[in-house]
Amino acid sequence: MNNPFSIIDSRLNLSRHYRRIFERPLPEGVTYFYCLGGIAFFFLLVLTFTGVVLSFYYVPSASEAYKTIRFIDGGLPGGASMPGGWLMRALHVWAASGMVAAVTAHMLRVYITGSYKPPRELNWIVGVTLFVLTMAFGFSGYLLPWDQKAYWATTVGTAMPSTIPLVGHFIMQLLRGGDDVSGITLLRFYVMHVYILPLVSIFLLWAHFHMIRRQGISGGL
Amino acid sequence: MDKNQKKFYPDYLFEILLVCLFALEGVLIISYIFPPVTGSPVDFSRNFLPRPEWYFLALYQMFKYFPGPLAFLGVAVIPAAILFLIFALPFLEKTHSRRLRDRKFSALVAAVLLVSAVVLTVLSYF
Repeated sequence: MNNPFSIIDSRLNLSRHYRRIFERPLPEGVTYFYCLGGIAFFFLLVLTFTGVVLSFYYVPSASEAYKTIRFIDGGLPGGASMPGGWLMRALHVWAASGMVAAVTAHMLRVYITGSYKPPRELNWIVGVTLFVLTMAFGFSGYLLPWDQKAYWATTVGTAMPSTIPLVGHFIMQLLRGGDDVSGITLLRFYVMHVYILPLVSIFLLWAHFHMIRRQGISGGL
Repeated sequence: MDKNQKKFYPDYLFEILLVCLFALEGVLIISYIFPPVTGSPVDFSRNFLPRPEWYFLALYQMFKYFPGPLAFLGVAVIPAAILFLIFALPFLEKTHSRRLRDRKFSALVAAVLLVSAVVLTVLSYF
């Protein structure tokens, strides 16, 4: 009698695909500096997990956002709190900083080893786009706690594009959903943060990894 | 096949999982010691001078050097130009050599950008 895996494997042929990924040889000169992209992806997994857990309690409305954040933090009078919520929020905040640092370091490594040279130009372009998306994640997430710092930082941040001639005012209104930062802005940033940016990022990350698999790691100099 | 040749499994995967474990321990320790502080509730009448996250400080500092009608230079034109330069990197470098010493001009530009970002970030604290 075959073991359960070989029963599945004989039907779906999993091990062939598994071998193609796991048994491929690596070029010479792959050091620990080549793990930086992996660390960035790992932080993304931490952010996804903690983000989903936080979203069980967080309510993105002007009247509820601050209260639910205090509930998550355990800072509400009367002691009501989300179990372990403070740690989930702390991990989410610090993993976000860690991810920006890891993405930047990964870009620097790719730059120094000249790994974006032909034939890998397209993967560099996808990677730089992912860097921009990472920054957009940070910018949109900063408003969500809806405290003084978040509100006024977003007021300043969304006022910046309004200085662009002709289209600036329109961009600012598009970001804010009106002339001022309001509950509409909060909902827009929330939708950006949990739906639009993750969907685009997943697609681009799939492309990023798929291109690495097709082209191989560029290797040491 | 060369016996010293690394394979994705187990060599590379092990290295990645090891550094990920360190990364997880790092954020766990920092999160435990420095949990984020939630500020006071939004007060629309009390204008408050905010500071963005550390990775936006360079941009925020540059904004200060372009007052009035020139503001869009610091906010949009310069950042967009730098971003475009970064996107276009593989097409701008003429040499096919990957060594930094064969790409001196590119390395100089990269160093100037990197140092500017660090200097602007530091200046934003004063």
